[in-house]
Amino acid sequence: MKMIAMDESNISFFKEGLRLDGRRADEFRPLKIEVGVLARADGSCYVEMGGNKVIAAVYGPREVHPRHLQEVNRAIVRCRYNMASFSVEERKRPGPDRRSHELSKVSREALEPVIFTSYFPRSVIDVFVEVLQADAGTRTAGINAASVALADAGIPMKSMISACAAGKVADTIVLDPMKEEDNFGQADMPIAMTPTGEITLLQMDGHLTTDEFHQAMAMARKGCRDIYEIQRNSLIERYNQLGAELPVVQEAEVV
Amino acid sequence: MTNVISELKKDYLYNLFLKGERADGRTFDQYRDFSVERNLISKAEGSALVKLGSSQVLVGVKMQPGEPFPDTPNKGVIITNAELVPLASPAFEPGPPNETGIELARLVDRGVRESKAIDLEALCITPGKQVWIIFIDVHILDDCGNILDASSIGAIAALLTTKVPASKFGLGEDYPLPVKDIPLATTAIEFGDVIMFDPDSDEESIANTKLTVITKADGSICGMQKSGTGVLKEEQIYRIVDIACEKAKEIREKFLEE
Amino acid sequence: MDRMDRKVVIPGDLLSEEAKRSGEGTFVKDGKVYSLLYGLANDRDRINVIPLAGKYVPAPGDNIIGIVKDITFSNWIIDINSPYDGLLHISEFPKRIDSDEMSKYLSLGSSTMIRIKDVDSTMKVELTLNDRKLGLLKTGRIVEINHTRVPRLIGKGGSMISMLKKELNCNIFVGQNGRIWINGGAEDMDLALKTILLIEKEAHTSGLTDRIVDFLKKEKGAGN
Repeated sequence: MKMIAMDESNISFFKEGLRLDGRRADEFRPLKIEVGVLARADGSCYVEMGGNKVIAAVYGPREVHPRHLQEVNRAIVRCRYNMASFSVEERKRPGPDRRSHELSKVSREALEPVIFTSYFPRSVIDVFVEVLQADAGTRTAGINAASVALADAGIPMKSMISACAAGKVADTIVLDPMKEEDNFGQADMPIAMTPTGEITLLQMDGHLTTDEFHQAMAMARKGCRDIYEIQRNSLIERYNQLGAELPVVQEAEVV
Repeated sequence: MTNVISELKKDYLYNLFLKGERADGRTFDQYRDFSVERNLISKAEGSALVKLGSSQVLVGVKMQPGEPFPDTPNKGVIITNAELVPLASPAFEPGPPNETGIELARLVDRGVRESKAIDLEALCITPGKQVWIIFIDVHILDDCGNILDASSIGAIAALLTTKVPASKFGLGEDYPLPVKDIPLATTAIEFGDVIMFDPDSDEESIANTKLTVITKADGSICGMQKSGTGVLKEEQIYRIVDIACEKAKEIREKFLEE
Repeated sequence: MDRMDRKVVIPGDLLSEEAKRSGEGTFVKDGKVYSLLYGLANDRDRINVIPLAGKYVPAPGDNIIGIVKDITFSNWIIDINSPYDGLLHISEFPKRIDSDEMSKYLSLGSSTMIRIKDVDSTMKVELTLNDRKLGLLKTGRIVEINHTRVPRLIGKGGSMISMLKKELNCNIFVGQNGRIWINGGAEDMDLALKTILLIEKEAHTSGLTDRIVDFLKKEKGAGN
């Protein structure tokens, strides 16, 4: 990541209790979710979270290639997190790097626990996350999008997965750190969970006392719960909209 | 990993073609509706999202100073890459670009370079030492046919929105990248003696041959590529080139209005 | 949670506190019934969730349309529009033929009306053509819709599909895997295709049969 020529001591992260972008400590950035944005994929979802723009697609269940990867009694789940070259400040060489390998792994492990893989032996469920623009928090935006894309693809699941990060900046616990807070903050903790609070992703780097950790968890829990409602609404609205298009029967699409 | 197309479908399409029709009702030289959304990636110096029918392609332009190539010490550098990411089609596999992806990138590049749309000498900062490097990155999002033409529209649209980020590098104030032409690729497929422009994915999968013609704003040709395992007769090529120039003109007009 | 006529639900939505009411598309946890899928919850004796999307999973007895994708020594490998391919063994072909004649009868890309004979626990799918009602499709067109809409296309007791066959003057075979074969005059087939796609789009809405009847009246009245 390109270093911005800013000096930590110059930034005051809070002004009158509000953060650099006007948010309170426990607010996440504006979240927009669009379901079913791609024609080829079996399920898809586009998410904007603050300046993050990510698109997730699901293909599957489908035949596994190479065959030797298949499992006799369940579907395997694959996840590929990838960043577009133009998504970051300094143009990134295309292709996976060590970070994207790690994020692919933890994203898969965030989603797989709720997928009923036993319904589809000898197949694969492929999840692809493409980051089109990065603005701190791409992995949680990606997981939120992937969860909706999985539902859109008709994959049977115990529940959705919702994700957000908590952080610490200027000794204060905050929800959904933005870029400056992430770069110059004291801790960053992305989390994903089911609506009933079971954790499927937990990472942390930085420094937190156990007290601060509890605070961060509580804040993240509420954040994930709120994000879940937005994910749920986007899926429900999508089909209610179709109802609203009736009864203009003449507008049949001929494929 | 693509599905076998049924003989029934091939027969159906072929019979339509013989009657001068296409499955979606278009004429042979008709392009699907397209739209261009510009500047949607604020982190990039320029960007454009092109929707051509259901195909979707996102092109981002990034610029940074760098060293010129030793044999062209006074010229800026253009590097074009295309990522055919697996989310865009069941036929795309993860990994470095294969021959199709590389061909697409090189054709988009050919259009920009051979039309001299970008004055490379104007991108020189310090001769022999520092020049502007332009990265044109094509990111395919949804392949529903003819992503090459969509990428070509996207590339020039993104370049036209590009601001040279001079201030970021202490090289003065930002300014719009000077773009002197609007190169566009127009692609036709040949199938059993029938020629069709802007193929959708079904039409692409049954075609033997493709011919892409890249033209400049003045209608002259700055690039061509025949691809596929079929053959083209000379008169077919002349026909395609004529129509391609027409189509490019129409697309350029619509594009400038958008 | 009480009555819920045809409400849109997502995976994990609580549907009922009575475990015994768990139907298709649901799962039971701690004595409660939850939705497995993104779909429409249907509240009857049992609560079922009708999926709005998803892949076709082959079941024995299903009549489907398959496309030959490969031929081995003794099997045709058939694309059945599912994560799983079907295998048609040479012994399940209605005529006794030799291995080297296989592609003469069913070649690559051939479409067939075919039945699923058996599916084992590893999802190995065996197909059969041993039925006079099945066989190679030489003419006509195949349209693919999401298999979840097939029940709506067929209708209660076949009501929708019988109406369509009559009004459209076409032969129509509906594969459980979402592939539908139609055969008739060119214009009749065009209208049939349009109608089927319209039904697919609006499958989850009410009053559909009447609207389709009206649609057909208008289209045919317009001299189409």
